Amino acid sequence: MKKRVRLEEISFARSGDKGDICSAGLIAKTSRAYKTMVDEVTPEKIKRHFGSMVKGSVELYPMPRVECLHVVLRNALGGGATKTLRYDQTGKAMGQAILRMEVEVEEDVLTEARQTMERIYHKYGKAWG
Amino acid sequence: MRGKMKKIRVGAGSAFWGDMLEPAVELVEKGEIDYIGFDHLAELTLSILQRVRAKDPTKGYIPDIIPWMKAILPPAWEKGCKVITNAGGANPEQAAEEVIKIARDLGMKGMKIGVVTGIDALKQGAHVVIAGRISDNALYVAPVMYEFDWDFTEPFVDKIASAITTGHIIECAEGCTGGMSNIWQAVPEPWKIGFPIAEFYENGETIISKAPDTGGLICEWTIKEHLVYEVLDPRNYIMPDGVADFTSVKLKEMGKNRVKVSQAKGKSRPDQLKVCIGFKDGFIGEAQIFFPWPDALEKAKRAANIVKERFDMINLEAEDVRFDFLGVNAILGETVPIKDLDYNEVGLRVAARAQSFEEANKVRREITHLWTISSVGAHMGVPSKPRPVISLWPTLIPRDEVTPEFVMKEV
Repeated sequence: MKKRVRLEEISFARSGDKGDICSAGLIAKTSRAYKTMVDEVTPEKIKRHFGSMVKGSVELYPMPRVECLHVVLRNALGGGATKTLRYDQTGKAMGQAILRMEVEVEEDVLTEARQTMERIYHKYGKAWG
Repeated sequence: MRGKMKKIRVGAGSAFWGDMLEPAVELVEKGEIDYIGFDHLAELTLSILQRVRAKDPTKGYIPDIIPWMKAILPPAWEKGCKVITNAGGANPEQAAEEVIKIARDLGMKGMKIGVVTGIDALKQGAHVVIAGRISDNALYVAPVMYEFDWDFTEPFVDKIASAITTGHIIECAEGCTGGMSNIWQAVPEPWKIGFPIAEFYENGETIISKAPDTGGLICEWTIKEHLVYEVLDPRNYIMPDGVADFTSVKLKEMGKNRVKVSQAKGKSRPDQLKVCIGFKDGFIGEAQIFFPWPDALEKAKRAANIVKERFDMINLEAEDVRFDFLGVNAILGETVPIKDLDYNEVGLRVAARAQSFEEANKVRREITHLWTISSVGAHMGVPSKPRPVISLWPTLIPRDEVTPEFVMKEV
């Protein structure tokens, strides 16, 4: 049974800039979440999600050994950090924006992914909140 | 386990011009490191420093090099830790003169300062290497290649790829030790965050750790976060010293705050080098004003409309104008809906890019008018003056066109 949820349920993200290109790494919360992410996240979906914010192409690069899906968004920062009028000049929030996309996830994959933060706090401790 | 395999411990002391000094000093004092690298240059910093040097030939380096070296040289000299920095910027020789003055005042007789090219300077026994625009990554690849006596021939390609990979992971210092993290709630004491130490082994494996009793967190997640940071094609992470394939890399936690990086594969160094050309490209004027409950968002929307009308009336000549609602869609942009909620407060941010300072400055003036003509309770702080825009034109040139030069100075 699949559920429609935000990508944030199964993935972390970190993004940044290279000129006018935004680079965003999606970091799967579990091995099965990685497989789901690779199936569910497509360049077309990401492009549609950003609308006119991303003018160029979207490329995806699977990184199975570290279970990350790397996203490259071209002409995506309004001209690059020094020229753009955006508040987020270097696209630091764009990775988080990708995590708002909706994906279809098997219920047990979702349950396992949702336990990731608990496992992280158990292993490394919880320092805030 | 590793027997007598040679290893070298390299620390990352700075992620950008403006980073914290204390963790770098702590790294030298407590990290038992052989080298520390300092990255102070972003893509466009050189363009800015070149203009500084054009105005004053005795300037053009990163001014922070002076307080930084005053704090770093004493523990580094005492511990035998060599220092590699790109803070020379557009004027490494002058930066070296300043560093020599500092070293002389501190009584560090015999200290050798190498200027410009990292690896050759190390071969000549430099204690401090001051470079300009070398790649951030080279700060960490150079000491490893020198200590292990690697060259650019085929047998060392994968090993250099390992050094490039680890250099990439640590070069933003706190970027891999829990800074900017998704798991921020698990990161302890970020106010005294530890900067990373990479322990390189001759077989190409590395262990990333940090100094004891520092804040921050190193684990598989924080290392993955930085592995994917500011990367284009991860199969071909192209650096002047080689090409690393990040999809071949294996990460493994080796206990608390220790992660092993291994199995990196790579390709030979490219025939071309990247050149970043910066050029003056007008000014950006930017200001914001906040509106309180009730109807905070509607007040902000109406204020945006007022500014648009005013810009028409005064004939603003701008290349681009932008309106954001702070607290609503300022950083997530079009990916989020503008919900009609009972906000406590909403900010209106207006930004415009124009060719002249005067045009860009109209943003500041018009936001100021909103204070009195918009709606009740608005406040705007102190709008700052327009900033110059330097646009980037990156390109590639043949490697042969660049001749690295190197000068050694002694204190």
